[in-house]
Amino acid sequence: MKILVVDDSKAMRAIVKRALSTLDRVAGATIVEAVDGKEAFATAQAEQPDLIISDWNMPEMTGIELLQALNEAGTCPSFGFVTSESTPEMHELARSNGARFLVSKPFTPEALDDALASAV
Amino acid sequence: MQLAEVELDRITGDIFAAILGLTLDGHRASDTFPPDERVVTGVVQITGDFEGAVSVQLGEHLALRAAQLMFALEADELTDEEVTDTVGELANMTGGNIKSALAGSSALSLPSVTAGRDYRVSLPGTVIKDRIGLDCDGDLVVVALMQRDVTL
Repeated sequence: MKILVVDDSKAMRAIVKRALSTLDRVAGATIVEAVDGKEAFATAQAEQPDLIISDWNMPEMTGIELLQALNEAGTCPSFGFVTSESTPEMHELARSNGARFLVSKPFTPEALDDALASAV
Repeated sequence: MQLAEVELDRITGDIFAAILGLTLDGHRASDTFPPDERVVTGVVQITGDFEGAVSVQLGEHLALRAAQLMFALEADELTDEEVTDTVGELANMTGGNIKSALAGSSALSLPSVTAGRDYRVSLPGTVIKDRIGLDCDGDLVVVALMQRDVTL
């Protein structure tokens, strides 16, 4: 399995990667990273990840714009958000664009594992 | 805009506990850093139905400790960029959670971070709606919520 972690914060990418490393559900997965939606789109085309875990609010291209671009390209793998903002409107927008989950920061590895249950 | 439900201490405490494994032990008598202490400040702005900003301030000692925990690195392995990134992300999470607690529809900016000694954070046209000083193992954490002053 290959997972693309997208966040403009290096610290948060480290937190997400560390959480993933503790989860049996994704044991042995290869993790690749991108710093914004634009880079993630290119990385997704090149790396063909099985799952994308993305922040929402990022420079260049936001997480929801990334999801919509991947949908338009017809190349969207399983996709979920890990974001500091979590409103009903965001949940609905994510869901309507095909996102499998939206986990709010701060999160625990258990919360991420629960979310991944629907995505991998 | 109703701000009564925004609990800065609970939101900040939850973030420090979940992300850093650190406990914030209630309010300090002072919410001011000594003038000789280097302080790292992260700020995010909120625009929309609520107009304002959120700042999170840590002394350099705690900022380094937080970055160590975020990146699982020793202090001498950290770069300034990683410390800046850590405080920016703490501000981003705090602002995002506060925004989610506010009624209406608003947008969150990307975080900005500054560091130095003996300075004040002020955003022209805003007033401080809430400001708290919290204790983290003897280090001070200051969180403030500013709102655009509609009387101006």
